[in-house]
Formats: sequence, structure tokens, C-alpha cells
Amino acid sequence: MTPEPHDVAVVGAGPAGLGAAAEAAGAGLDVVLIDAGQRPGGQYWRHAEGGRGQHWKAYEGLSRRLGQVRRIPGTQVWLITRDQEGFTLRLTGHDPVTARAVILCPGGYDRQLPIPGWDLPGVMAAGGVQALLKEHGTAPGRRAVVAGTGPFLLPVAVALARAGVAVAAVAEANPVTGWLRDPFGALAAPSKSVEAVRYAAAMTARRVLYRTRTVITEIVGDGRAEAVRLRRADGTQEEIAADLVALGWGFTPSLELPIMLGAETRLDEDGSLVAVVDGSQRSTADGVYIAGEATGVGGAALALAEGRLAALTLAGSGKTARLRRAVRRGRRFAAAMRRACPVPAEWTAWLTESTVVCRCEEVPYGELRRACHDLGADDARAVKMLARPGMGWCQGRMCGFATAAIAARLNGRVATADDLRAFAARVPAFPVALEDLAEN
Amino acid sequence: MRHPDFLWRNPSPKSAYDVVIVGGGGHGLATAYYLARNHGITNVAILEKGWLAGGNMARNTTIIRSNYLWDESAAIYEHSLKLWEGLSAELDYDLMFSQRGVLNLAHNLPDVREGRRRASANQQNGIDAEWLDADEVKKFCPILNTSPHVRYPVLGATLQRRAGIAKHDHVAWGYARAADALGVDLIQGCEVTGFEIDGGRVTAVRTSQGRIAAGTVALAAAGHTSVLADKAGIRLPLQSHPLQALVSELLDPVLDCVVMSGAVHVYVSQAHKGELVMGAGIDAYNSYGQRGSFNVIERQMGAALELFPIFSRVRVVRTWAGIVDVAPDASPIIGPTPVEGLYINAGWGTGGFKATPGSGWVYADTIANQRAHPLAEPFSLDRFTTGALIDEHGAAAVAH
Repeated sequence: MTPEPHDVAVVGAGPAGLGAAAEAAGAGLDVVLIDAGQRPGGQYWRHAEGGRGQHWKAYEGLSRRLGQVRRIPGTQVWLITRDQEGFTLRLTGHDPVTARAVILCPGGYDRQLPIPGWDLPGVMAAGGVQALLKEHGTAPGRRAVVAGTGPFLLPVAVALARAGVAVAAVAEANPVTGWLRDPFGALAAPSKSVEAVRYAAAMTARRVLYRTRTVITEIVGDGRAEAVRLRRADGTQEEIAADLVALGWGFTPSLELPIMLGAETRLDEDGSLVAVVDGSQRSTADGVYIAGEATGVGGAALALAEGRLAALTLAGSGKTARLRRAVRRGRRFAAAMRRACPVPAEWTAWLTESTVVCRCEEVPYGELRRACHDLGADDARAVKMLARPGMGWCQGRMCGFATAAIAARLNGRVATADDLRAFAARVPAFPVALEDLAEN
Repeated sequence: MRHPDFLWRNPSPKSAYDVVIVGGGGHGLATAYYLARNHGITNVAILEKGWLAGGNMARNTTIIRSNYLWDESAAIYEHSLKLWEGLSAELDYDLMFSQRGVLNLAHNLPDVREGRRRASANQQNGIDAEWLDADEVKKFCPILNTSPHVRYPVLGATLQRRAGIAKHDHVAWGYARAADALGVDLIQGCEVTGFEIDGGRVTAVRTSQGRIAAGTVALAAAGHTSVLADKAGIRLPLQSHPLQALVSELLDPVLDCVVMSGAVHVYVSQAHKGELVMGAGIDAYNSYGQRGSFNVIERQMGAALELFPIFSRVRVVRTWAGIVDVAPDASPIIGPTPVEGLYINAGWGTGGFKATPGSGWVYADTIANQRAHPLAEPFSLDRFTTGALIDEHGAAAVAH
């Protein structure tokens, strides 16, 4: 007999998912919480077994409220289908789960920009470096350069320094004052600014070289990363030795499940595709709520508030006015931050013909250029057909943003939401083994 | 800026053409090419509502073979296969046509009888076909599980060695480039919304880019044919269903032939780059959604893994569906319609890709001469009133 569907399935147990699950359970709903990680917390509260992470009290508080929640850790939701009863979620290595509503809190990925040398050993996504440090206490190098843009570079640099790594430089592509460019937005979340100041102080204490308006244009080395080339806004260049390069260009939301369920998407201030939600976290798809980075990258506090709001909306609670205000405020600040930390407009100029853009299918930039200039591709979808970027293992998670940007630039324009959508729809949501897919 | 090596131009539609082909998939492109090359008719437009070759041409599993049972089918598919054998050279485009052999597995005694009969019929029609017993099947494809203790034991198989696969995109681009070079206008993003019919004769199509007058209108729209024909007042005996396929991560070379099984409803090959391409069956219900029901894939992959236990941990990275149009006898419909000047080429069901050159060839001839090409004659629309059906349900590896 098919078991009774849950009232709600929460996908993802980061700040948004934990907030949603705790609040939904508190409202008396029957909740199932599904997460890819073995331990809840997502990237933000990623921690070692038995260890503690940042802002731990908040995490413990949420964890205590999960008592009645059915938890399914260590599995990925690779397909969600809808029927009259609600939704069926298919999981890797686990029986399917049914629910009347879903709250999707899938988070995001480190946004990757292919630059010459980015595929050398020793070059990592900033988020990957952070994950190794948080969960395993492993520093994957001795002398690091942290480069890219956005406030996330700071905690990564500080965490590396605390782990004993010599942080040779932090290269922020944008002017830091830009974070305050939108005073109304920035003031909306003063605690965030305080956090940034604290990280800046920690870096000063460790004499970390912090360069703003400085871009990383190339990573050089013979068989592995040995040095990076930085270029400042005034055109001066320098080479800095490093065996670890942590690259962070912001985040790209994980939209497989929202798109699979028909939720509309839009282009955000930072050029990412994000899910459209209303002021109460309802997506445009009936019964589908979305919270956290998938609705626009805004950090843990906003994600947590969005998750809680989604659950309370679903539960029909009348007491959401305060939370809605907090979310509105958080979104304003996040939008200001995204506007202040754009990906450098000129980054595609750093590419060489042989720079690999799609690592899964080993497609170099030259192939993309030929697809546009020789074969007439005028958008990302046509480039994908002609040159195959985004057709491999990761299905464009890594190279989708970059390919869309490159295709647009080669045609003299900027990437549109349609360009990004060409890489964002994925069925299944994650690679799934035939034996998992096959009916037993 | 000028790009002399563009695959094709991107013209705006003219106000009138001698021939308007509706549908820029493989069949439409091939038809335009042969109209120009074989018949000198170059004032031709292909109207494609999406982008070129973005429908079933981008969604099929690229299997090419000609081992059909009946004389009529064998003749047209073998004509197609012979064209495939010279097509890369003719189009001056590497279509990666690989004649690696196609196995059709037999899992029970009726399958065995049917397979032997089919091989014999093929041989009498001059088509290469062999019957392999279970041991020979194992030798030809060692990774197949031929143990008797499975749900679908392998009792033997037919083998067509000249059959194989090709790179679907290259086929579309090869035809598109050649047709474009001969003067055909390939117009993308142009949806046909209606027909103008005057005194029983089609005179123009209405499109999302305006009215286009046409001497002849030729439908080549696969799963959307019945919807289009309805706009011209023609009701067709076609059912449109989603047909699903999936592709795996890249593997080292492990499967150097194509394996099909009608009982399991699955067909597998390993594409040139190394990914497994697997086709599943059609969904039972009618639909125009390019995504099928997952339970179909689940059931069929369950059976497929018994045949290929070695693939159980291979990961699927993508699944999709195409919309196939199936006639009651699982054979195509090619030829004139009750509306003068309006021609139809449809009903290729699950097997349209392999027919691309042959279909284009006979359809172009039919349009140019205003009568059915001899190979197309048996596939006329009126067979559904005369009763002269060509039942090829058994030829497809997919239950209809």
C-alpha cells in the first residue's frame, strides 16, 4: 500500500531548508526533510563530525525543533513529478517520497569563470576550499591567492589563514566601497556590514594583502598552479606565487528542481538565473515554494528567513508580517550586494583559444568562437548544439553561466535569461545510476 | 562583418515560393535538398517554428537499418540505406555513419520464428540479414547477458551488418548547408498557423512571419502533422505519442554494435564520443510534451539491466522525449492529400531518422512530379480506405 503523502517535503537542509522544516513542524505539519549531505546545515553550517560551525547557537536551536521531522540525509532528489495527490520525489538509493507540497531550498554552486589556467591542479572554487576546511580541517595548499569578487572571499581568506596557510593576496575585482553604493539597500542589513568589517580586521591582523579593483587574469604553472597574474584597474600587472588558488565569482542558484516543476525564472542583478517568488516565497508553480539562494543569492540569514516564511505561508499562519518585512529588507541588501559585485565585464577577453570552457566535454574557447563566427551560432543554445559545451557529466552546472556569457559576447550583446535557460533545465536533476533509475 | 563559412544563411521569407516545406527537421531538409539537386526546383522555403533540426532530429537514437518485413517497406528503407552509404561524400560532411551492425534480439519462441522469417524475407529482398543463435549472439556482443535465468533470455537475434548509427546533428547540418547552397531558404522561428485554400487547392500558408504564397505545400512536421493537417481540414489516422531516450556519462569503448529488443522495448548503442544512447518505448497516451512518463523508463531500464548487467552503475545524465506520429499499421504516409497542392510525409513513428535520405528523395520526386514516387505509392493516404495496410508493428523495436 502506498503510504499517505507528507504534508510537505523540504528539499535541502541548509539555512533555508532547516528554517522551513522547523517552522513547518512547529505549525503541526507532517514534514520530510531531504538533503544531499550526511549532516544537516548545508554549506553555511558545514561542519566536521562532532564539531561546531559558525553561528552555532542558531543551528542548534533549529536542530532542536526537528524532532517530529522525518529526515532523509545523504540522498539527492533527481526527479519530482506532480499528480493529483501532490508530488512524488525520486531519490538516489532510497524509496520515493510523496508530499502534498514542496519547499525547495536547493542552494547554489560556486560560479565558475574559465580563465587561462583555471583547470590546473591547485585551482579550486572558493566554496570548495571552504568546504574542505570546514568539514575535514584540510588546507589544500601552503600559499594561497583568493581571487574573484564578493564578500565570500573574506571568510575563505580568513579561514585559510587560521588553518596556517600563507594567504599571499586577496584580489577583489570590484571597489569595496561599491558594497555601500546603494545606501538604502546596504543599511537594510547592518549586521552584514559589521560582519565584513570583522573579516577585514582579521585579515589586517594577519597582514593579508587585500587588493580591490584587481582581477586575476591567468594562473600559470607547469602541471600545477605555481603563480597567478593579477591586473589592477590602472593597468599595472603583477605575478604572485601560489600553490593554491581559490576562485570565487559569486554563486549560481541550483534551479534543476524549480524548473522541472515549471517554476518561472528571471535574470538577477548579478547576471544569474533565479527562481521567481512572491513576497511569501510562492513560486509560479502551484504548491511549489522556493527559499534561499535559488530565489537570488543573499546569504544565510536571508535564506533562513525565507525558509521560515515559506513554511508559515504554507501552514496558513497569520503571523508572518514581521518575517515578510525582514525578508523584504534582506532582499534589498542582497540586491545591493549583487549590484556591487558584478563579474568583470571584460573577463571573456582574458580567454585564449585553448582555454578550456567546458571541462566535462573538453571544449576550449576556440571551439565556441568558431561556433559563433564560422558556423553562425547566435545564442547559447546554438553554441551548445554546435560545440557541445554543457553536454557532459555536469550538464552545464560549471560552464553554463560562462558559456552563455561567451556566446552573448561573441554576438556583441550580454547574456539573457533565455541564454541561461539553455543550460539550466536538467532531467534528471543529477546524474543517476541506471540501477537507481530502473524499476526493481 | 562577413562570415563566408556559415553553415547556412538566415533569410527573411519572401512573399511567395514554388514549394513551401513545413518543418525543418531531417525529412524537411532532405526533401528540400533533393528538390533542388534532383529536380532543379530551388525556389523553395523550409518553415521551421523552432530551430533547424531541434525536434525529433535532435532527440532520436540515430539507428539506421533496412531490415523491414514487407516488400514495400524493405524497398523504401533499403533505398534510404543505400543513400546513407554515399551521403557523407555527397554532402561533403562527415556524418559519422558507422555500419557497426544491428542486433534484434529474440526472447521467446514466437520471437525466434519471427526473426528467422524476417531474415529470410530480407534476404529475398536483397537486404543483408542473418540469423544468429544465442552463442553467436554472445560472440558478436560479449557484454550481453545470455544466461537463460533472466526475465528475457536471449534465444537468438537477427543481425544486419550494414546497419548502424550516424551523428544526427551532422546529418541535419549537412543537408541544411547543401540545400542552402542550392538556393533553398531555411527560415527558423516561423510557425505555420493556417492554410489558404481556394477551390480545393492550397494557395498560401499563414505564418507567424506573415502570409507566404506557395505553389505546393509539403508537410514534414512529424508529431505535429495531424494538428497542422487539421488546419487544412484534413483528418489523419495518426496518433502522437512521446518517445523517450536517455544518454549516459562517457565510457570507454564497450559496445561496438547496436542492440535492440522488441520485447524489452529498449535499444542501446555507444555513440562516437563514448556515451551510451538508450531508447525506451512510447508512452501509451497521446501527448505533445517533449518529456515522457518516468515509469516507462523505469520499467524498461529494469529489463535492460538484465540484458546488460555491466551497465547497472552507469549514470544517466539526461533524458528527453520526442513526439512521434504513428499510423494504425505503423507505416508512413507519403503522397497527395484531398487538398490539391498539399502533400504529406508523416507517420514515420519511431523510425524516421533512418529514413531521412530515402524519405526526402521520394517525397521530393512526388512533389516535383505531382504524383506519388513508385516507392511511395503503397504508402498513400487512401490505403486506410482500401485496406491495403502495411503492418510493420513487428519491425520497430517499440510496441505501438
